[in-house]
Amino acid sequence: MAEQVTVHRPTLASKVGAALSHPVVFSLVFAFALGWLIVYLTGRDPGFAYSEMLNGAVTGSGLRNTLGRAVPIIGMALAVSVAFRSGVINLGGEGQMVVGGLAGALVAIYTPGPGELVIPLAMVAGGVAGAAWAMLPAFGQTRLRLPILITSLLLNYVARAITGYLVRFHFLDDSVTLTSTRQVPEIARMPRMPIFGGVSLSLALVIVLVAVAWVVYGRTVSGYETQMAGLNGRFARYGGIQVERQTVGVMVVAGTIGGIIGTHMIIGDAYRFIDGELVVSGLAWTGLLVALLAANHPVMILVAGLLFSGLQIGGLAMQRNADVSWRLSQVLQALVIVAVASRLTFGWFKRRRTGPSEGELEPAAVGEV
Amino acid sequence: MTPALELRGITKRFPGVLANDAIDMTVRTGEIHAVVGENGAGKTTLMSILFGLFPADAGEILVRGEPVRFSSALDAIRAGLGMVHQAFRLFPTLTVADNVVFREEPTSRGLIDRSESIRRVGDVAERYGLAVDPTAVIETLPVGVLQRVEILKALYRDAQILILDEPTAVLTPQERDKLFEVIRRLRDTGRTILFITHKLGEVMSLSDRVTVLRDGRSVADLLTADTDPEEIARHMTGRDVDLDQRAPAHQPGEAVLEVTGLSATGEHGRKAFREASFEVRSGEIVGIAGIAGNGQNELIETVAGLRPPDEGSISLNGADITDAEVLTRRSAGMAYVPEDRHGVGTSHRASVWANLLVGHQRDPAFQRKGWFDLRAIRDHARSLIKTYGIRSGPIGAPVSTLSGGNLQKVVVAREMSHGAPLLIAEQPTRGLDIAAIEFIHDRLVRFRDGGGAVLMVSAELSEVLALSSRILVMFDGRIVADLDPSKVTEAGIGLYMTGAHEDGPDG
Ligand SMILES: Nc1ncnc2c1ncn2[C@@H]1O[C@H](COP(=O)(O)OP(=O)(O)OP(=O)(O)O)[C@@H](O)[C@H]1O
Ligand SMILES: [Mg+2]
Repeated sequence: MAEQVTVHRPTLASKVGAALSHPVVFSLVFAFALGWLIVYLTGRDPGFAYSEMLNGAVTGSGLRNTLGRAVPIIGMALAVSVAFRSGVINLGGEGQMVVGGLAGALVAIYTPGPGELVIPLAMVAGGVAGAAWAMLPAFGQTRLRLPILITSLLLNYVARAITGYLVRFHFLDDSVTLTSTRQVPEIARMPRMPIFGGVSLSLALVIVLVAVAWVVYGRTVSGYETQMAGLNGRFARYGGIQVERQTVGVMVVAGTIGGIIGTHMIIGDAYRFIDGELVVSGLAWTGLLVALLAANHPVMILVAGLLFSGLQIGGLAMQRNADVSWRLSQVLQALVIVAVASRLTFGWFKRRRTGPSEGELEPAAVGEV
Repeated sequence: MTPALELRGITKRFPGVLANDAIDMTVRTGEIHAVVGENGAGKTTLMSILFGLFPADAGEILVRGEPVRFSSALDAIRAGLGMVHQAFRLFPTLTVADNVVFREEPTSRGLIDRSESIRRVGDVAERYGLAVDPTAVIETLPVGVLQRVEILKALYRDAQILILDEPTAVLTPQERDKLFEVIRRLRDTGRTILFITHKLGEVMSLSDRVTVLRDGRSVADLLTADTDPEEIARHMTGRDVDLDQRAPAHQPGEAVLEVTGLSATGEHGRKAFREASFEVRSGEIVGIAGIAGNGQNELIETVAGLRPPDEGSISLNGADITDAEVLTRRSAGMAYVPEDRHGVGTSHRASVWANLLVGHQRDPAFQRKGWFDLRAIRDHARSLIKTYGIRSGPIGAPVSTLSGGNLQKVVVAREMSHGAPLLIAEQPTRGLDIAAIEFIHDRLVRFRDGGGAVLMVSAELSEVLALSSRILVMFDGRIVADLDPSKVTEAGIGLYMTGAHEDGPDG
């Protein structure tokens, strides 16, 4: 017996060690440990706060809410990852979502007909509008050499302004005090699935989108070509990949997903387009963080998206029950990302004593052999 | 006297490869010690362990008789080691001085003292006769100078033992001679130099001692004075190698590539080359000789479709491709081995198979309606790995796990595998070992004999002379000579390369 124990222990320790040396695992542990400390320093009970957070995220209506919020987070993460993986720095997810959301909302509100027709039509309209909006920065880069990084970001403000103007002066619902469109009629709303207490059908949609992305990256010429462009643009050009044309295509795909998610937020969640609501929710940016955490891998996006969604939903419950501000969730999200982005690992702490090794401070290689 | 360096039983295993297998090696103080071996023999791995870049699985390192344990390169530097890597590690937008003093900056009142660092770097450079301007910006400098900057980095930290990984692979013969002078001078100041090379001529002329690695083991430790290239080659390969061969002439056919009046602009807005006109016919190898920086690279890039021409035309098999996309050129029958295998020819983080596929991802053999035939792609990759003797782990592993020479083989194998009638090859054998060079040369000759056309640029004049049916010499952006290799010598070509024949094309 005693022998078995002594044999067993090192393997367990080394397994934990191996897991901790994985940067993502370590980042999570790091963030939660620091969060623990923060809660402790404010004089609350961190264990209780965390357990309330967990409860809030997965028990009762919490699970439904977590899954519901995961839909736009995963969707927006997927949209941004499609661009990032191809080396296109699209920060315009928010604008693409807002423009698509309004287009989808208007179609859903003003098109007569059965839901089977109106709902898909609204989704298509949202996707097309999002794609069209995304093409502006795409062509800006390929034709005018304006970096997408900057134009896509700035166009977010333009999108907010234009949709705000349209709502206020053309589609305003006078019966409420909000700057908002009319409500989406009952019939044109996204149906709910009879699972987990009624989750939006859109959850199935994003899971399908994730699966499609996974297959495209693993099995198709387009998936290969976009990834090659993302890894090394000069290599891709040398290999006959038409990087400029591809940039436009990638932006169209990202914009389409963004527009579809925007539409979902209206016809599956808020039921009216309220000026600024999609912006204030910060969903596009949460999606960006999730994509970073998941290293743009579709399946990991699913996992990371659920995690961040659970953090946000659980954070509200924690605030209610444990008197710790829900902002702790945001702090945790940020800590995870900071740790991942700085490639913090367990080894990093060990190496501090001697300073980082040459490889970690690797400047760009110039010249070659 | 205690040796400068002693390695005992160094062992390193990577997934699927035993890169170093119980290697023993002794390096005496003040000697120039060459390390040779075939591609993938474990040279870079051994040097990286010695320099603290990663730990050995087993074994011991003694510096001046003291056992040491390096957990990072900084430890190695503190122990008096310096290393110049196969691929340089410099910040392109900073000056020479900034790069050299990085992390060891002289300060005054807590701030970095720029003028002091320029002064100190200038001092060190002067002391060892390294001609470098400390205020020059890295990205404007040719590779030969970059290498001197790397050496400066080590000397600035007062390295007593200097490791150079294939330092001559990127150098012109003139630059190489300068480097050798520097190395000898360093030895004369009591420093110890370890250098890796594939060129046995360099081993013979420079080193005092040579260690031969084969398949991760140390198979010979020889005094240079007591050995000869044939013996070293035999140790490297385990068989006899014919070191000298010339390809017999062959009757060329129709023109495959025709270039007329071509000019293009270089990085700094200057004309890189002008009015280039030549043709490459089926069944011939046209070699381009010239000192690096005389427009060869830009000319090749323009023909390959990676640089827009200012004027002139290019046609391939009679079809005009002057403004065609790379994809069009490739499907019209152009293959291209680029000079910069790290930045252009491969994608480090992509897998071995993905790297072996590029340029042909749309071939019907590998896809149907946009869906990959993954089995065909993998089989193709495996067969190339086998045919070209590429040493690699699983084909899904990132290509960055391959040794320098094996990376080069990936590029050459890929480009030669699709039977394109025109092969453009820049430095096709750079970084390859003797047997691999022999193999690639043999392939090139067989390709030519099968009616292929080859346009080759090489810094190795011996290679150009051995393989070419015709030799074009470039100087200052112009083709200044079209020579028959059977009627010229290396010295004769050298005169054209340095512009000594200023009277324009002839010959
Ligand atoms: N990080 C790594 N991961 C996996 N395998 C590796 C790694 N680094 C090197 N190897 C393998 O170890 C072996 C030795 O590689 P090494 O780079 O030491 O060869 P080398 O003698 O320097 O060859 P070359 O002359 O081609 O530069 C090769 O088979 C290589 O694929
Ligand atoms: Mg090497």
